[in-house]
Amino acid sequence: MNDKKNVNKQDTQKRIFMAMILSFIFFIAYDFLYMQPQQEYHDQQTQQTSTSIDGKKAAPQVASSSNSTAAPATKTTIAQDIISTIKTNKNIIQIDSLGRIAQVELLESQYIDENGKQIKLFSNDQLRPLEVRFSNRDINAQAFKVSVVASQSNIDATNGVQELVLTQKMSNNTLTKVLKIYPDGHYDVTINVSNGAEFFVTPGFRPDVIADMYADHGVLLKMNDGTLTIVEDEDLAKTVNFTGVKFASAFDRYYTTILYNFHKSLAISLMPDNNESPQIFIHAKDNIELTGYMGPKNYRDLSELNKDLTDAIEYGWFTFIAKPMFLMLQYIHDFVGNWGWTIVLITVLIKLILYPLAYKGMVSMNRLKELQPKIKELQDKYKGDPQKSGAKMMEFYKKEGVNPMGGCLPILLQIPVFFAIYRVLLNSIELKGAEWILWINDLAEMDPYYVLPILMGATMYIQQLITPNQIQDEMQKKLFQFLPVIFTFFFLWFPAGLTLYWFINNLFTVGQQYYVNTLFAKAKVQRHEEHLSHKHTKKD
Amino acid sequence: MKYIILKLLAFYQKFLTLLSFGSCRYYPTCSQYSKQQFETNSLFKALYFTIIRILKCNQLFDGGIDYPSIECKFNNIKYKKINVKYWYVPHKNRYLIIKNWDFKK
Repeated sequence: MNDKKNVNKQDTQKRIFMAMILSFIFFIAYDFLYMQPQQEYHDQQTQQTSTSIDGKKAAPQVASSSNSTAAPATKTTIAQDIISTIKTNKNIIQIDSLGRIAQVELLESQYIDENGKQIKLFSNDQLRPLEVRFSNRDINAQAFKVSVVASQSNIDATNGVQELVLTQKMSNNTLTKVLKIYPDGHYDVTINVSNGAEFFVTPGFRPDVIADMYADHGVLLKMNDGTLTIVEDEDLAKTVNFTGVKFASAFDRYYTTILYNFHKSLAISLMPDNNESPQIFIHAKDNIELTGYMGPKNYRDLSELNKDLTDAIEYGWFTFIAKPMFLMLQYIHDFVGNWGWTIVLITVLIKLILYPLAYKGMVSMNRLKELQPKIKELQDKYKGDPQKSGAKMMEFYKKEGVNPMGGCLPILLQIPVFFAIYRVLLNSIELKGAEWILWINDLAEMDPYYVLPILMGATMYIQQLITPNQIQDEMQKKLFQFLPVIFTFFFLWFPAGLTLYWFINNLFTVGQQYYVNTLFAKAKVQRHEEHLSHKHTKKD
Repeated sequence: MKYIILKLLAFYQKFLTLLSFGSCRYYPTCSQYSKQQFETNSLFKALYFTIIRILKCNQLFDGGIDYPSIECKFNNIKYKKINVKYWYVPHKNRYLIIKNWDFKK
């Protein structure tokens, strides 16, 4: 009977082990077979589509408007001519002959692609910022044929606010866009339609610099009541309408294009494109005033425009912890000046705050070492029944006044901290390309030489070696010792910043444990000597 | 809902527990406690007591033996032989849930 139970037990543990290995293999296979081909496919697609013709140019249908008919499909010519180029301190904005923002090139030195070229936000065949569509089919058709006239073809807004007027004269009405471009690259726009027709304006399709599975990309709306609505790409089946919108942002991992008006809330429609990805259309009649931003989701840049806009930086469902974590990191970074050292410092800070707790636990753990024989006895007595032995052990600890365990809370707390740092590393443009020392030149990417993960595994192994543990089961013990290896493998592909955090964390745990161990050894020697001298004096 | 939580707990106890092995300061361990709460108590009460328990599971508290304690009334008692999983032990107007070590499925 007992034998059978033992066999069963070993069997389960083997299965656990297999499950771990399998999940690990799945993880790698997923990365190689799915993520990478997808990336390649995406690259190919962008190359192909650059020559294809613009798709449908239909205005979204609004239930309330009686004159809106079935969505008209108007074909327009391919590449539009650039009629105006604006240079600011942060970007170069190009306006095409349909009065849309054709391209935005970021000028700041940190925004470069892998070929060392300055980043351009938009891909070729997508909806562009400031494109206007009319709900009236005839006007709409005209609006995509008549060329726009710009008041200036070259504007230098590096030293002060500049104005650009775009006029589009159609048979029955005139569309004017008055743009005020600021030196920091954002703009105000007032759009006017002479005959009061109903129209829609868009911040454009999301930037297409880096949009992958690791972070959300799509559309984010902030409502008047403070809530956020996020619609991810390929996730919108039919047109949806919203009212009371504070700002509308179309975003990829690091970049965004936003239109907002904080004085007058917006009514918008989200219309799916051919891939069911959301396109933003802001409703307007007669005229509308908006402010726009196209660029990186940089916390400082956005909060300078308006504090509310920082909500456009989105860390997935973990935002509520990741955002404070980012703010803390940014605060420390202001003093330190390097993101790598910032991560080291924050790890040390967390460890210092938790030190009194950890110390108490370690002392308790070491005291237990002295009670080891009695524990062994208990363990042998209740072998193969973890619940019973757990209960008996607790009774014993209570009697001896020790409790060696660290507790579940400190371990569970590690998880949100860990995820917060992970999300911040993935989503914060500030940490993109952040260097540390030697070979680490991007904390948001994996360590190219696998040094940090291996160091991490090594410290974890040492930590296990010098920490007294109570695992009774032989098989489980082996599995436990194997954990550093499993962890090392998992961390190979994680962002270097995250591995750095875990490594420093382990390093300090080892340091603490070592310190406590030596303290204890000393105390033991001292007690022993006292004991001896006591004996001595007795003899004398 | 309860069912999903219990499944998640079972998954945790099977696969993830090694990551936090031997860290609980209590008997029954936090995961066992939580499981027993969800099996015997109402959803929200179980959730509440589980959260309290996890918050208490750190070095600021003594730890030790802490059985789930629940309020319940027994109506329409049928007298027959059953396979006992938990003993409901009366304690200060409530019942302590104590697992029957000999329980087999």
